[in-house]
Amino acid sequence: MTRPESRPRLRARLALLYASLFLCSGIAVLVLADLPLVSFSSAARATGDGPKNGAGGHSLSTTNLPEVLLYSGIALAVLAVLSVAAGWLVADRATRPLRVITAAARAISASNLDERLSLGDSYEEFRELGDTLDDLFARLEAAFDSQRHFVANASHELRSPLAAQRTVIQVALADPAASADSLRSACNQLLEIGEEQERLIDALLTLAVSQRGLRKREPVDLAGVAGRIMQSRSTAAADRGVRVDASLAPAITAGDANLVDCLVTNLVDNAIRHNLSGGRVQVATGAAAGVACLSISNTGPVVPPGDVDRLFQPFQQLDDERTSHDAGHGLGLAIAASIAIAHGAAIAAQARPEGGLDVTVRFRLADPGSVSPEP
Amino acid sequence: MRVLVVEDHRALSAAIGTGLRREGMAVDVVLDGDKALEHLGVTRYDVVVLDRDLPRVHGDEVCRQIVASGSGSRVLMLTAASTVQERVDGLGLGADDYLPKPFDFAELVARIRALGRRAAPALPPTLERGDLVLDPSRRVALRSGQRLDLSPKEFAVLECLLASAGRVVSAEELLERAWDEAADPFTTAVKSTVRRLRAKLGEPPVIDTVREGGYRIGEP
Repeated sequence: MTRPESRPRLRARLALLYASLFLCSGIAVLVLADLPLVSFSSAARATGDGPKNGAGGHSLSTTNLPEVLLYSGIALAVLAVLSVAAGWLVADRATRPLRVITAAARAISASNLDERLSLGDSYEEFRELGDTLDDLFARLEAAFDSQRHFVANASHELRSPLAAQRTVIQVALADPAASADSLRSACNQLLEIGEEQERLIDALLTLAVSQRGLRKREPVDLAGVAGRIMQSRSTAAADRGVRVDASLAPAITAGDANLVDCLVTNLVDNAIRHNLSGGRVQVATGAAAGVACLSISNTGPVVPPGDVDRLFQPFQQLDDERTSHDAGHGLGLAIAASIAIAHGAAIAAQARPEGGLDVTVRFRLADPGSVSPEP
Repeated sequence: MRVLVVEDHRALSAAIGTGLRREGMAVDVVLDGDKALEHLGVTRYDVVVLDRDLPRVHGDEVCRQIVASGSGSRVLMLTAASTVQERVDGLGLGADDYLPKPFDFAELVARIRALGRRAAPALPPTLERGDLVLDPSRRVALRSGQRLDLSPKEFAVLECLLASAGRVVSAEELLERAWDEAADPFTTAVKSTVRRLRAKLGEPPVIDTVREGGYRIGEP
């Protein structure tokens, strides 16, 4: 890293300041100490001037002043050197904690974020700065940790289907009595595993896109989106014996239509998937008091209230559902939450005491002036 | 050899089960740690193929309980976590072997066989008794140099008897070692398999029947 050399350095500045302060006070002291000497000699000349000879008094005054000036000059020079040295030393001491902080901060990188400055017994101001930086490092460390955790989880989730694929192929190939039927069934299994991977990769991409924030904002009617998605999911819901009810009132917000679509899809799919046979899903949209609200409630297995927040973390599922056939990867609610955050919307989930979840997303109602009807 | 496969990925656990059964092993497949502990409480398995990241009861806990029970079951950890530290941690829990995903099925089979041989006392890779030679890894049985055409169950019964080296093996034990949990405990499957095995082994007879006891391989 190169540092522009032309910038003034604080230590030099401080040294100069201290040195000039020392020098000024030194000069003041010298002048104050010299003044009586000089005035004394001129007084001697004045007193000797009158009665005796004027030449003697005059010569006394001319020999004294240069001496005083000479010694003053020497004292001043010594004082100047001492001032510069003292100024430099004091400035060095004053800026030392800064250099410690700089060196430590420079040494801390993504691989050793657990290190801290720990400026224990320093001046209050530097300690505050050090503590502030330590807090920053702690937040960075947490963010890096969660990122690492996420990558580890994602690679874990991707490796299981890969292992399954390889095993299915190798077992099918190693079968000495392999028939067209057995190979066909292996191929079908491979297709299913491939679809599972596609879904996972799609979900991961959606999550990444939503975490990047919004590129555009356009008017989106939550009622329209919810209606369309419920229609497309009606067969899936019927297959599981789940009834889907809707009460959709216009609720227009400004956002990325694709992402809002994805949020609603994930919530509806979640509500249908984690349900009971003969269960219900209720979808409602509406606008009130500056809020465009979407709420989805479903019956289903009992969710321990303490586990609700965990479900918004990527790759988190209730234990009971991990082994069920199409449980997904535990990304649905994480994606919904991430999209909600990108829109500045508040998402909240509550466990229903009789089983199932109530999820509510509150978007900002679109500014009526900027809204044009959805095409 | 009796093997328990604990793996929560349905397709993967089913494929492992199919493949291992074809290798002549008696395999039970479960999808979570809870069920694994249930099975381990009832049956003595030679080898447990254990995924580490299991729902309900974590694989690490299952492994700890297997080691603590002193059942002598060998544990092969199967996991997507593949850093050295994670492998070291897994082995530190008492796992006997560690195979990262994705793996080659042939390697999994070879490792399970190697672990099965480590059952006390250690068994050689080929089992021999007189003129009878059995190579479990190649699934070849020879008598006087002649290759025998054995079904997987017949092979498993012969392997079990040879591994016991003359000790009497009860019909129940044979049922546990060579059949999986789908077998009916009151079946005559053991009796009929031994009968067919004797016919294929030919003369002189190798398998003795011990009254009220079971079967054993006779002195060469």
